[in-house]
Amino acid sequence: MNLCLSKPVTADADVVYSLPYNFTADGVAADGHFCVTKEKILIYLKDDIVKEYNISDFSEFTCQQQIGTSMAQGITKNGETICFCAFTQDKFLRFAELLKLLDYYVRTGDFVIEADTEEPVCPKCGLPLDGAKECIFCTNKGKTMIKLLKRIAPYKKYFVIAVLCTILSQLVWVLTPYLDRIIIDEYVTPKSTEWAGFAAVVITVVSLLLLAGVFEFFNMKNSFKVALNLGRDLRQDVFQKSQELSMNSISKRTAGELINRVSSDATKLEDFFTANGKDAIVKILSLFIIGVLLFVMDWRLALMTVIPVPVVFLIISKLFNAMSIRYTKVWKKSVTHGETLHDILNGIRVVKSYGNEVREIQRYTNCSEEWAKSAVKAEIMWYLTMPVSEFILTIGNFFVLYFGGSMILDDAMTLGQLVQFTTYVAMLYDPIRWLIQIPRNLADTSVSAGKVFEILEEDSDVRDVENPVELDIKGDIEFDDVYFGYKVYNPVLKGISCKINKGEMIGIVGHSGVGKSTMINLILRLYDCTQGEIRIDGVNIKNISQKSLRSQVGVVLQETFLFDGNVLENITYAKPDATFEEVIKAAKIANAHDFIVKLPDGYNTRVGNKGYQLSGGERQRIAIARAILHNPKIIILDEATASLDTQTEKQIQEALGKLTKGRTTIAIAHRLSTLSNADRLIVLDKGKLAEFGTHTELMRAKGVYYKLVMAQRQTTKMKKAVTTPATE
Amino acid sequence: MSNSIQEEVYEVDKLTILDCGKIKLSKEPSGYLTLDYDGKVYRKVNPTRLVPFVSKTTYISLSYENEEKEFREIGVIKDMKELSKEQYKLLDDYLEYKYYMPEITKVYSIKDNMHGAIFVKADTTSGQKTICIRDWYQNFRMITYDYLYVNDADGNKYFCPNIHKLDKKSRLVLEMFT
Repeated sequence: MNLCLSKPVTADADVVYSLPYNFTADGVAADGHFCVTKEKILIYLKDDIVKEYNISDFSEFTCQQQIGTSMAQGITKNGETICFCAFTQDKFLRFAELLKLLDYYVRTGDFVIEADTEEPVCPKCGLPLDGAKECIFCTNKGKTMIKLLKRIAPYKKYFVIAVLCTILSQLVWVLTPYLDRIIIDEYVTPKSTEWAGFAAVVITVVSLLLLAGVFEFFNMKNSFKVALNLGRDLRQDVFQKSQELSMNSISKRTAGELINRVSSDATKLEDFFTANGKDAIVKILSLFIIGVLLFVMDWRLALMTVIPVPVVFLIISKLFNAMSIRYTKVWKKSVTHGETLHDILNGIRVVKSYGNEVREIQRYTNCSEEWAKSAVKAEIMWYLTMPVSEFILTIGNFFVLYFGGSMILDDAMTLGQLVQFTTYVAMLYDPIRWLIQIPRNLADTSVSAGKVFEILEEDSDVRDVENPVELDIKGDIEFDDVYFGYKVYNPVLKGISCKINKGEMIGIVGHSGVGKSTMINLILRLYDCTQGEIRIDGVNIKNISQKSLRSQVGVVLQETFLFDGNVLENITYAKPDATFEEVIKAAKIANAHDFIVKLPDGYNTRVGNKGYQLSGGERQRIAIARAILHNPKIIILDEATASLDTQTEKQIQEALGKLTKGRTTIAIAHRLSTLSNADRLIVLDKGKLAEFGTHTELMRAKGVYYKLVMAQRQTTKMKKAVTTPATE
Repeated sequence: MSNSIQEEVYEVDKLTILDCGKIKLSKEPSGYLTLDYDGKVYRKVNPTRLVPFVSKTTYISLSYENEEKEFREIGVIKDMKELSKEQYKLLDDYLEYKYYMPEITKVYSIKDNMHGAIFVKADTTSGQKTICIRDWYQNFRMITYDYLYVNDADGNKYFCPNIHKLDKKSRLVLEMFT
């Protein structure tokens, strides 16, 4: 990152880093520079130094993000906070990086001089690429459609057959007006009685129509094959990608939005190809052939037919952008509708328990209505323009009839020729009409294509290295100076270093939001740490294949998610090839077997949507059985018993005890008593590792853990005091 | 850096509405404010708009972090109008700076790259800009029927308090995206 963007004119040569800022420490808009030499921080206002600080006077540097602005701050060795300057958020990343370097400097005495590494920029517009492959500003819509076309490649055989059949059927259609002309000119107008010739022509017409039907059948058969396969591929790819993306990318989107992209958007692309895929080639070809035929027959009449066409195209091209935007709006409303539906149905228990059904019905109705309204608006715009353009387009036909009729009267043309000509004109309008429809279809489709490719082309920020290690995990875990923040420059965990030995049971304690779950997310590699290393059995977690890592880590969370299916399916989720005996053994160890036996259909009892029929404790025991069957080397218990009553907690604790025996276990629990059997405890405080030791050691130290225990005892006493009179 | 008073029991469930007559705010080197209230001095006070999209000058929470870095709310200013003129200006200036958010006054064009990003060419109170918005259906949205809230790719925020009061062309451009 370039940390010397611009320097004040008067700056000395020893200024290593210099970044412009736009607010003074007092919050007044200003134009200045934050400059750093090896010894000093210099605050320039325009070209004059207004403040000067010795770096050695500080013990810490931070970047405080506010709402619209952020502050560069330093904490002096006396504990006083100094704000150097403030700036808008576009400057935040550079300031955060620079302050991180300064912070590293005061902590280690190592002044890192970062090379002015060139940041990749778009060759076209010069905007930073920010890790993307293509500039988001310059990516054009055409490219997306080309990418879509490329996906036809595996089905090119069917595609070619479909195109050939359509061309052949179109050729048959082109021949029929010629035969009509023969019938009129040779037999109808002269009132000929040569029945044999007449019958031959009629039979040819009928045969040709039958032939066209056969071609059409093969065309449709193959077109559908291509479109349906393409749709299936897209749906599968989008779904697969949504599974592969990191938690960071997934949490940016709601479940409703992802569902929409997998089903609705992919289907829209499939429909587009069914309706228009091969048509594009054929219609353009027939436009060309019929156009040539018309000009050969009579160029003056042909000219009258095509003169209005450019006008119509001009109107339509103007319409394209407006249509595209309107369909984007329809898409947005449909997504909101999907999300709302998902939201309400997901929280149906809350809705019902607060008696808010009417309010939710109203909310859903509003969404649904807005969606319908936006779709109607888009369609109205389209159908308002259509009749006008249709009239302008076909106006040439009236000229052809007038002048063609005059030519017949002057014997310059036969009736058969005019009929053939007008039939061709009508046939010419067909591909033109299709071309006119294209902006509407294309606009609608390119919105969906854009959304689909946005997911397909997103790079997961947690990736396997080349040739990742397939590790047979033993269970040693080491955190080595680990920093992590969900926002890169706002660390949740700061400099965590600790070693967890194989088979140990470790409890992580600390206040809410201190980073307990974050530590677990890092072990599971749902996110990558921003600095430092996490090692499992001495191997950096980033070098272990994600599949190998997660297949050996078992997780029991506070909220157990049971998939729609029966108990057996839910337990074997962790190991689909497990024998039934293994399943029962796992259920026994998890203290789940006994209650499963009592269920109406035993292991085949459907646990339904989220397993609502089962109690929290029962669901938790199924989750533990699942984890036992998984036979993990490392077990993670994230508030596994938090939502249970004391009696159930006891049963679960017992089950957990069997699960964790001899395996490295990391447990988070708010109730400190839950962690009484932990070998050692990690105490997190303000994102840092405050204490690490056994319960007795930590109690003796009378530090953070001691305070937590005392505070909790106090609360328990208070609760008892409050509940005692009521229960009496 | 600690507050000059001994910390009392923090009553997390008690709403304290501050008496504006007793409030004395001043700027301090940390970039935050110092509050002198009812004989007590609080350092590194961070004012927060509780309902920033509804009102900028009512329901302002004043808080600080204690030595344990725990959040401590001193109280809530119900309406800044009750502050003295000088105190009002100081707090208002601070909030305007903390919530620095240029207002969109005119929209020239919106380009959609069909990859989830839009580029809004607009006049704002901090000059003409092309604002790049990623995931626009999340970051370019109407908070209420009138209020447009924009969060650009860099994290800068923009707003338009009433898009229906913009000129006709701006409204036409915006209509498609709101």
